[in-house]
Amino acid sequence: MKEIVIVSGKGGTGKTSITASFAYLGNKDVIVADCDVDAADMHLLLKPDFGNPKDFYSGLLAKIDQEKCIKCGKCAAVCRFDAIPIINGKFIVEPLNCEGCGYCPLVCPTDAIEMNEQNVGRLFVSNIKTESKMVHASLKIGADNSGKLVAEVKNKAKEIAENEEKKFILVDGSPGIGCPVVSSLSGASFVVLVTEPSVSGIHDLRRVYQVIKKFGIKAGCIINKADVNKNKSKEIHNFLEEEKIEFIAEIHYDENFTKAMTYGKTIVEYDNGEIKKILEDSWEKIKELTTNL
Amino acid sequence: MKIVLTAKGKEWDSKIDPRFGRTEYIFIYDEDNDKIEILDNISVTSEAHGVGPKTAQKIFDANADILITGNGPGGNARTVLESGNLDIYVGASDMTLKEAYDAYKNDELKKF
Repeated sequence: MKEIVIVSGKGGTGKTSITASFAYLGNKDVIVADCDVDAADMHLLLKPDFGNPKDFYSGLLAKIDQEKCIKCGKCAAVCRFDAIPIINGKFIVEPLNCEGCGYCPLVCPTDAIEMNEQNVGRLFVSNIKTESKMVHASLKIGADNSGKLVAEVKNKAKEIAENEEKKFILVDGSPGIGCPVVSSLSGASFVVLVTEPSVSGIHDLRRVYQVIKKFGIKAGCIINKADVNKNKSKEIHNFLEEEKIEFIAEIHYDENFTKAMTYGKTIVEYDNGEIKKILEDSWEKIKELTTNL
Repeated sequence: MKIVLTAKGKEWDSKIDPRFGRTEYIFIYDEDNDKIEILDNISVTSEAHGVGPKTAQKIFDANADILITGNGPGGNARTVLESGNLDIYVGASDMTLKEAYDAYKNDELKKF
């Protein structure tokens, strides 16, 4: 079983559209893990049934026991996040501001504050429109993605892949280069970079590749909207050569990407022409590159 | 030599945990006296962020000489690990602990 992680660094490059297409093409061979949890949107394309919901806990939240509180205000004074305002004469923790740092219980003279694990969202194992499953999560308002949540999504996907003898886990990776991305990449067999020929596209491609390189994971790259700026596309090609990143494909700018999305379809379901062919070839190439590792 | 493996279980035939920071267990084998010590890493895996350096700290505390893991620690963990006298071997992702240890002995793992 191989784990393929798709990342882009920059948002809006077409990463999720392309990942969903590969999930569709791979059909029952593929378990999908959506680790782009902050702004998860793959469910729009793959139509999961939000099955087997499970509460997810991460991070800490302070809670003040009003019976024990003597209203000395020491907690509010040390809080760097101004998370303990006085409401109706009571010190109350404002959950959206509390970062869970644990300073307030240290200074409370009456031990009135406890730190509790925070329920930040739910994790699902869903049936999707392919003959396979998808592991995904939804976060509550104000909650953020974390390495922990990504690890939990991936571990669940791996468990299913092993039980059902799937060939691939396809991970829609988190954006940026922080903790969730490191967690997305940890344990990966192969990385697919999806980029676009723009200043920020290239900048973020370079940044995220620095992280991948540290892990020593082999990578390939798809340049989406390649015809939008040919000079920048050339620059990407040069970078790929320098870093020995496998060039997988170029995709030209096509409004079918957006149209497919508005119909809730993957691009390979909606488009029967050139784009579909490019993505089919890309998926074959990725499978080949991953299997030959 | 004290060898540390990131592990999904507590036995020699358990699998290597390919994740470094969020490894389920830390399996420590002391070659000199043939003793095994196992650390449950739950206190670290339940943290939301910054687990790499915390796991690295545990490995330092165990006075390990060699670390064997999956595809390698991330950037922060690596910076911490590099400050110690520890040799890191990667590429043991799909192996059992025993297989990974044998592969290390036969020089078949990649040095990080």
